[in-house]
Amino acid sequence: MRYKDKYRFIRQNIKKNRARTFMTILATAMGCAFLIVLASVGYGLQQSVVKETLEDQVVTQIQVHAKEVDGNFEAITIEDIEKLEKVEHVKAVTRRNQLGQIPIYTLDNYKAETMAVSAHYPSEVASGLELSEGRLPENPNEVVVGYHFSDKLFIDSAENVYDEETNEVKEEFRFKGNVMDQTITMTVKQDEEGKVKEEIQLTIVGVLEKPGREWMIDQDVYISQEVFEQIETFTGSVGGVIAAEPDQMETGHLEIFDLVNVYADNLEAVQGIVETLKEENYATYSVVSEMEQINTLFTIAKAGLILVGTIALIIASIGIYNTMTMAVTERAPDIGIMKAIGANPKTIKQIFLLESSYIGIIGAVIGTIVAYATSVLVNIGLPMILEMAFGEEMPEGLQFSSIPLSLVLIAVTICLVVTILSGMRPAKRATQIDVLKAMRREI
Amino acid sequence: MIQIKELSHHFELGKKGQKTILPVLKGITMEVGKGEIVSVVGKSGSGKSTLLNLISGFIRPTEGEIRIDSELVSDLSEAKFADFRLEHIGFIFQSFQLIPSMTAYQNIELPLTLKGEDEKKRKEIVNRILEKVGLEDFQDHYPSELSGGQQQRVSIARALVLEPTLILADEPTGSLDSETEAEILEIIQKLNRELGITFLIITHDEEVAQIGNRTISIKDGRIMEGVTAV
Repeated sequence: MRYKDKYRFIRQNIKKNRARTFMTILATAMGCAFLIVLASVGYGLQQSVVKETLEDQVVTQIQVHAKEVDGNFEAITIEDIEKLEKVEHVKAVTRRNQLGQIPIYTLDNYKAETMAVSAHYPSEVASGLELSEGRLPENPNEVVVGYHFSDKLFIDSAENVYDEETNEVKEEFRFKGNVMDQTITMTVKQDEEGKVKEEIQLTIVGVLEKPGREWMIDQDVYISQEVFEQIETFTGSVGGVIAAEPDQMETGHLEIFDLVNVYADNLEAVQGIVETLKEENYATYSVVSEMEQINTLFTIAKAGLILVGTIALIIASIGIYNTMTMAVTERAPDIGIMKAIGANPKTIKQIFLLESSYIGIIGAVIGTIVAYATSVLVNIGLPMILEMAFGEEMPEGLQFSSIPLSLVLIAVTICLVVTILSGMRPAKRATQIDVLKAMRREI
Repeated sequence: MIQIKELSHHFELGKKGQKTILPVLKGITMEVGKGEIVSVVGKSGSGKSTLLNLISGFIRPTEGEIRIDSELVSDLSEAKFADFRLEHIGFIFQSFQLIPSMTAYQNIELPLTLKGEDEKKRKEIVNRILEKVGLEDFQDHYPSELSGGQQQRVSIARALVLEPTLILADEPTGSLDSETEAEILEIIQKLNRELGITFLIITHDEEVAQIGNRTISIKDGRIMEGVTAV
């Protein structure tokens, strides 16, 4: 018997009991929708957390904080850097040192107080550093500045320069010109009071590109290694720190780095590099590792939610079992006639299994549509309700519910399996119908 | 066509532990030749319907063997017997056994559908058969909208669609008036004559039995000697 004819049979049978079939499909659809909506909360929150985490950080970046030697954590040295650069799939190893004090920069009658960082430009460029204008420094007294450096400059003589609300320099006191090719004076101190100072002339030759996120601010001045060492020599301390007591001073520059980042050449390689670095006793942090933990947690949560949702479908399957059992009983005389004229028991079984699958498929389709509609409503409505109830604004882009295709496939598969299983026994019963009893209408 | 050897059958009655055996057929041996019309007569309870049910494969014999077209059907599995029935045997029942939710056309088409024939071929065959049994104008009628004679003609048409070599008829005119009975018997004789189909007719009606080349009389589960030839 052809599938097309089996399908015709099923439709004829369903037509005879529209109300009962409709109620069964409704129960299946509700079960399926419940499963999808429940699990979609897990998917939605995971998506929001992952998105939030990924947007804040560079995904191919691995931060290397220190190296563990005999139970102690030691700073990363130039030897470590050379070793890290040799690890497979490492694109670049950037190393930065932050100056131990905040210098004062003056440009004509404007001044600013912001961090100074020494960077290794070849590795920075290899890691993807780009300039919005200008070029990279070519000699020691040339610097590049962060995109927002000019916002930090204000008129030296002014008072109450900062806006109380935003804590930014008020518009009227801001530097209006272009900092490119300007010479700035960096003043560093040897002591807290600033009795002994040194002024270093620096030329701004480039401005870094704007940070990826709107709320990120880059106001740093990127000085050369030579200037950094010059400050260290002046302060007599590692990193140019203002030492509390003169006897705490340690003179000379150590080849160690505060901020070391390893960049993988592709996302897939990150985890492998992290593993290698762990084996070498480096303390690392990467967003991918964090993602793995987040994903593991959410996978467990989603599996739990799907399991709870499946219970709803199992309850719906009782309805399908009931419907199919009634259908077999009602159609027993027809089944008897079909068997008498030569219908194979396998064909009879297939017809009933197809009927329960048909209910399952229609239920799953309706359930999926309802789930999508519910998901949209939840994503629009819930933040509004929460904002009204608690008066707090929800984070931008927060998704409570998300229905990926994989979830739909999982739900539809579960729905189909449950409905087919619930149709199995009635279908088997149909094949066991006694021809003679059925034709005598004794069943 | 049909060879039956030492066929016996009994029914078990009562509950488990208190069962009683009711023998229905006792060592039947008979043959039906190709192209014959053989009538099996006997009183109610003689075992003639049980014989037909055993030949049809609706029940399995306690002892003995049944061969149809040389195939030992009494040993076939339920599924294989179903396939065999579909291919080789047509059925005409006393109470027509038409599916009420299907039209005359759909009822006749059913064996072809079960066999997996395509729609075009089905239409061609069913229309030809409808013409043969004179039901062209009633093809869209449901069984409840047809007279007894028309229903039996639908039943005959259904039995014919797959061009079987054997038709088993259980009291084919049992529910019909005498005029319609004559019509149906004429159709059976015509089909036998023109298509060479073998008929095994179970009846208690002597007049119906008369259309057969031979009559086999059954009494108390045994074939009565000396009354098989017509």
